[in-house]
Amino acid sequence: MAFFGQRLINNPATHSAATDQYLVALAVSSQDTAAFGELIRRHQSQVRNFLRKLSGDTSSADDLAQDCFLHAWNKLQTFTGRGSFIGWLLKVAYTTFLQSKRRSKRYAEILDEAGYVEDVQNKSYTVQSDEVTDLDKFLAVLNEEERAIMIMSYACGLSHREIGVATDLPVGTVKSIIFRGKNKIRTSFDIKDHKHG
Amino acid sequence: MISKIINMAEKIQDAEDRLLESMFQTESILDDGFSARTVRRIRRQMWVRRLALPLAMIVGAAIAVKPASQLLSVGSQLFGPVATDSMFPQSALTAQLPIVIVGGMAIALVMVTFRLFEE
Repeated sequence: MAFFGQRLINNPATHSAATDQYLVALAVSSQDTAAFGELIRRHQSQVRNFLRKLSGDTSSADDLAQDCFLHAWNKLQTFTGRGSFIGWLLKVAYTTFLQSKRRSKRYAEILDEAGYVEDVQNKSYTVQSDEVTDLDKFLAVLNEEERAIMIMSYACGLSHREIGVATDLPVGTVKSIIFRGKNKIRTSFDIKDHKHG
Repeated sequence: MISKIINMAEKIQDAEDRLLESMFQTESILDDGFSARTVRRIRRQMWVRRLALPLAMIVGAAIAVKPASQLLSVGSQLFGPVATDSMFPQSALTAQLPIVIVGGMAIALVMVTFRLFEE
């Protein structure tokens, strides 16, 4: 009986018109990977963009994005549906990024203890592509937390409250971090006289 | 009401905000098989998780068949008078034990196969 039910649920045509919340409910209740696949298709661009900007490395960012969706699948039942799904997904992406950083830091420490010298621990934001854009220069002056919050705010269009939920920070702190980030960019690049448009 | 006012306040941007927003804007990344690859990885993980427990049970049962039957035969010898009073003779019980275990394993295997077919 469940066999036939599963076939009806796994219909990609009905998934494309469904809301994120409905697809999440479907994925959680019946372990419907096709429904989750639709969610990946919808949000992969934003998640990959976020991680690319955060890490500055396209290939490792895409690997991280895959890990992020894998973690999201495993923790999907924790999505309460109160905020937006992309906000929750970016929270998972940010956690995945921090975990990977911690792992590479531990790896560097092990290498260090073994006598190998590798400067992974103090590695700052480095762009792997040949072309360095103004944005890359801006992001390079920010620390990790500021970079993540600025990307969430300006690239992903998340509200301050959503960023607060994603980063486990109070809204006031989010605002002050954005203010600090803007200040850093302003002082480093002197964009105060720049006329937009 | 308060949240609406906060949202409106957040949306009011100065020139600097607009400049930053335009700089942060990038073209959307093409899927290019990314979602299919990720879904495949998720399905693989699900299979591994579902197979791990039944496989461990089957392997564990296969290892435990011999010691368990020996333990039962020793036990039946110790409690011989009780066993002879029962409906089934002691020798028949000992002989049937491996069949019972193999039968249980077969049922578990059929259930797992059925579950995989459902997937």
